[in-house]
Amino acid sequence: MPLLELDSVVVAYGKVEALRGLTLQVEEGEIIALLGSNGAGKSTTLRAISGLVEPRSGSLRFADRALARLGPESIVRLGIAHVPEGRRVFPGLTVRENIVLGASNRRRAPKAEVAADLERMFATFPELRPFADALGWTLSGGQQQMVAIARGLMSRPRLLMLDEPSLGLAPLVVQQVFRVIADIRANGTTVLLVEQNAHMALSIADRGYVLETGRLVIQGKPAELWNNEDVRAAYLGGRVTSAA
Amino acid sequence: MSGVSAPPTALAELAARRERRGWILFAVAAIATLVLPLAVPLQAYHLNILMQASTYAIAVFGLTIVLGYAGQINLAQAAFFGIGAYSVALGTATYAMSFWVALAIGTAFAAVAGAALGLTSLRLGGHYLAMVTISFQTILSLVLANWVSFTRGPDGVTGIHRPSIFGHAIADSSHYLVLCIVALYIVGYLVWRLGHSRLGRSMQAVRDNELAAGVVGVNAYATKVIAFTLSAVLGGFGGGLFAGGFAYVSPDQFSFNESVVFLTMALLGGVRSPFGAALGTALLILLPESLRFLKAVYLAVYGCAVILIMVFMPEGIWGSFSALKRRLRPVRSVVDDVVPPLPLTARTAHAGDATLLEVSSLSKHFGGLKAVDQVSFTVRANTVHALIGPNGSGKTTLLNVLSGIYVPTGGEMNFEGRSITRLKPHERAANGIGRTFQNIRLFAAMSVIDNVIVGAQRRGNDVEGGDAGRRNLALAALGFVGLASRALDSVQGLSYGHQRLVEIARALAGNPRMLLLDEPGAGLNHHEKQELVGLLKRLRGHGLTIFIIDHDMNLVEQLADHITVLNFGRRIADGAPAEVLRHPEVIKAYLGEEAHRAVA
Amino acid sequence: MGIALQLLFTGLGVGSIYALVALGFVLIYRATNVVNFAQGDFAMLGAFAMVVLCIDIGIPYGVGIAITIVAMAVIGALFNLGVYYPLRHRSFLPVIISTIGASILLENGVLAAYGPRPQSLPGMFETQGFSVGPVFFDSQYLLIVGVGILLFGLQYLFFEHTILGKKMQATSQDKEMASLLGIPVATMIMLTFVYSAVLGGIAGILVAPILFVSVSMGSSIALKAFAASIIGGFGDVRGAIVGGLALGVVETFGAAYISVPYKDAFAFLVLFFFLLVRPQGIFGEKISEKA
Repeated sequence: MPLLELDSVVVAYGKVEALRGLTLQVEEGEIIALLGSNGAGKSTTLRAISGLVEPRSGSLRFADRALARLGPESIVRLGIAHVPEGRRVFPGLTVRENIVLGASNRRRAPKAEVAADLERMFATFPELRPFADALGWTLSGGQQQMVAIARGLMSRPRLLMLDEPSLGLAPLVVQQVFRVIADIRANGTTVLLVEQNAHMALSIADRGYVLETGRLVIQGKPAELWNNEDVRAAYLGGRVTSAA
Repeated sequence: MSGVSAPPTALAELAARRERRGWILFAVAAIATLVLPLAVPLQAYHLNILMQASTYAIAVFGLTIVLGYAGQINLAQAAFFGIGAYSVALGTATYAMSFWVALAIGTAFAAVAGAALGLTSLRLGGHYLAMVTISFQTILSLVLANWVSFTRGPDGVTGIHRPSIFGHAIADSSHYLVLCIVALYIVGYLVWRLGHSRLGRSMQAVRDNELAAGVVGVNAYATKVIAFTLSAVLGGFGGGLFAGGFAYVSPDQFSFNESVVFLTMALLGGVRSPFGAALGTALLILLPESLRFLKAVYLAVYGCAVILIMVFMPEGIWGSFSALKRRLRPVRSVVDDVVPPLPLTARTAHAGDATLLEVSSLSKHFGGLKAVDQVSFTVRANTVHALIGPNGSGKTTLLNVLSGIYVPTGGEMNFEGRSITRLKPHERAANGIGRTFQNIRLFAAMSVIDNVIVGAQRRGNDVEGGDAGRRNLALAALGFVGLASRALDSVQGLSYGHQRLVEIARALAGNPRMLLLDEPGAGLNHHEKQELVGLLKRLRGHGLTIFIIDHDMNLVEQLADHITVLNFGRRIADGAPAEVLRHPEVIKAYLGEEAHRAVA
Repeated sequence: MGIALQLLFTGLGVGSIYALVALGFVLIYRATNVVNFAQGDFAMLGAFAMVVLCIDIGIPYGVGIAITIVAMAVIGALFNLGVYYPLRHRSFLPVIISTIGASILLENGVLAAYGPRPQSLPGMFETQGFSVGPVFFDSQYLLIVGVGILLFGLQYLFFEHTILGKKMQATSQDKEMASLLGIPVATMIMLTFVYSAVLGGIAGILVAPILFVSVSMGSSIALKAFAASIIGGFGDVRGAIVGGLALGVVETFGAAYISVPYKDAFAFLVLFFFLLVRPQGIFGEKISEKA
């Protein structure tokens, strides 16, 4: 039974249908890439799963529990962590404080346990240690992305959802981020990865789904997707031969 | 330009018929209320109530303008009321001026004070305006109570003289009431007319979406200041009449509490219409009189009422009533109509390489972040020029700099040979640059055609025939996008695709020479996008230059004559679509590293 | 010289009251983006509660203070539920108007219950105060300044060194992100209102023996506190404190050297000056045109 199951999910913002009936599954232990150009509905998919928007119709199930009408605070307690687009590190709090707040869903966790997890994060992201007491707004994009991911991991999720982690980052930093993502899966956390950068995403994913204007157009293994004309066209056009 | 003199449309006839009906109702009501005090002998007590109601209503009309039309808060209306009242009081009692002169002076003082307050605080956010008006109110109350040598302090001013007309003194209270009612009707009519005028539409546009209003050509700051000043003028005028009616004024009649009372009257009745203002005033003056046993708690009830109105009935009584009426009676659509042609369609594309927009080394930094970094490109006249790039590449920032919403950190922009680098958004619109937004920014409380007329009324757009001419131009623009039949609908009832078209029509009504489109395809389905492509091609065919951002490569490929690509705020490619879309840097920016070979 | 020092001490006392109320404003604003025009009425309610409890009923001051603080917490909670919560998704104008309505309701509710005559609360101390050189340190003013320092210190410790304080800061910086981490945002906002109401109430308790306790005392304090927070830099916690203290001092000096009846006008004149010259206040960031 899949860990996460979406069935014909429709999400609308007012009059705009952002998702027009999306169906997908994520098995435990996979890295799933959700691809597509801007406006395809990728972020909306994550927001529907984490409870930030309420779908108009369709069902979402996580570990065989329905997610309907649960707010974000309940859903993160079920084991889904959402690292949203733009990193959204709390600008007025330090790196340490940001990461520790990631454990807010674990209500009765003893402080020692949280402290141990914090140490583990600094071990995973050693370049953050010297900045432990730096305020969020002073960090570079790459550092903020590390903090955001660490913060997401502190909730000890079964499913980690990352929205465009490579956005605005230099290529070397992007590679680093993706190495971390691969490690996360190696440690047993399932990952749902939304990306515009198809190459990086497909290089670590087990399977991928490609969205276009709110609908699923193709799914499959990375190799199949990469060589598929429709996928390229979704990003770069090319279906039309002339521009007259 | 635009000689859009079309045969009378059903739209115009509808408007004319409604106006005739309005006049009849107005005349009947006016005569009835004017005859009443003269025909029926009223006790002094009732006369006072009615005088208070009519003069208060004039002040509340002021709130209709500043809050209802322009959406700005004014918590000092009682102060302006007090300025007018004390001018008449001191003018006639201390300085032996004629009533009319004192009234004029009072109104002028109120206008100056209102303009001064508006000019200083309308650049900042709404909280500041609220704060400044309350401060002004407080200071004025202090002055009235403490400057005893001038204002006679807490004792107040007695012996206020009433006016005379052509030598006949209006001493009798019932005659004075007639004067107040005449003033009420005249002011009410003018306020109503304002709502349907060019200035009124500008105010409502600022209220509904200040950013879009600016981009479409409305000078938002000036409009707000005018609205605020008019509000002060009406406050002062009403106050002056009030003083003449009651022959006694004292500082505690013009405190912050009274400002709140005015506000509550406006909100209860419905702040967006003078009918609502009059209704609210009548209710809140007449009702407490019948509920006099509540006198001790009536202000507490006011407070509670304000909260409840905001939560449950924000449109006020009249507003909710109008909304209901609109829902029950479906709007007549303008079918069978001769829709005039858009002036643009008289032109044809011209060959040639004229440069329309020249962007040189444009930069926009936010602190340390270089959102746009030394970007240069040229837009040629009568082309579709597309700007593409991955998410976060700086496209929208660049477009915002082009429209004047952001001030560039460096670089220059020249449009038709003139520098536009320092121009504000409404000034760019005045120069012939139109724009639409990615998240559609229509004026939600206005009808489809009114939205488009705001576009038509931009400065520099010479349209013959004043308002009627602009209306025809708006109809023509709607006709071009295929929505003429929906002209009278409220924009909120339209589908997303249609709202997008109305936004385009609004820009077209300004007769732009360049159109900036921010992701016009966003949120449209495939069919709607193809229609959009057709529309834009037609526009290009008529000589319009289009600058477009979009993510849909199909759409871009079908339309673009020239593409500029951004990544990390820098230009990485610029040229014809065929070469740009195969450029290795561009492919890398979108898809990542070089083509990944399939590994089984 | 002695007079100047005396005025300074008095000014700091008055300024501490403004700072306490301004702090309540700023905290609510940061958490919810709402400017609470009823903030000063929390002070008025605190003062009236003391009058009712300690004068009318005759409860000793200590117990009266404790009960008042609890009552203010409850009022803050009710305020959140009744005035802010139903309008939390609406634009700022309906919310501002609603808080103005709440202010009128509170003031006139008390007026109806108690009547218009101002009350007075006798001093809380047996000794009036003591002198050091030319300066007389009034006990009540000492209490105000002392409580102010204590509260600001405790608050600093709370926000900077407790997890709950961090959660509240996170909520005010990015509500949506906070909810994604499992922070109960509605609860955080409730706590903010409760705390702000208590701050206001404490200001009222402290100032009651000095001023006449009247229904309108709240709004005049609130307006000046609001002016103070704009002068200090709207939305900045340091700005609220510094602005409040500065305003208290300016006002006291102004009353002594320039004019007593227009004392209340000084706050607004300073405000006008700042709005013209430096609208972002002392600590605020430059206010740019909205994009």
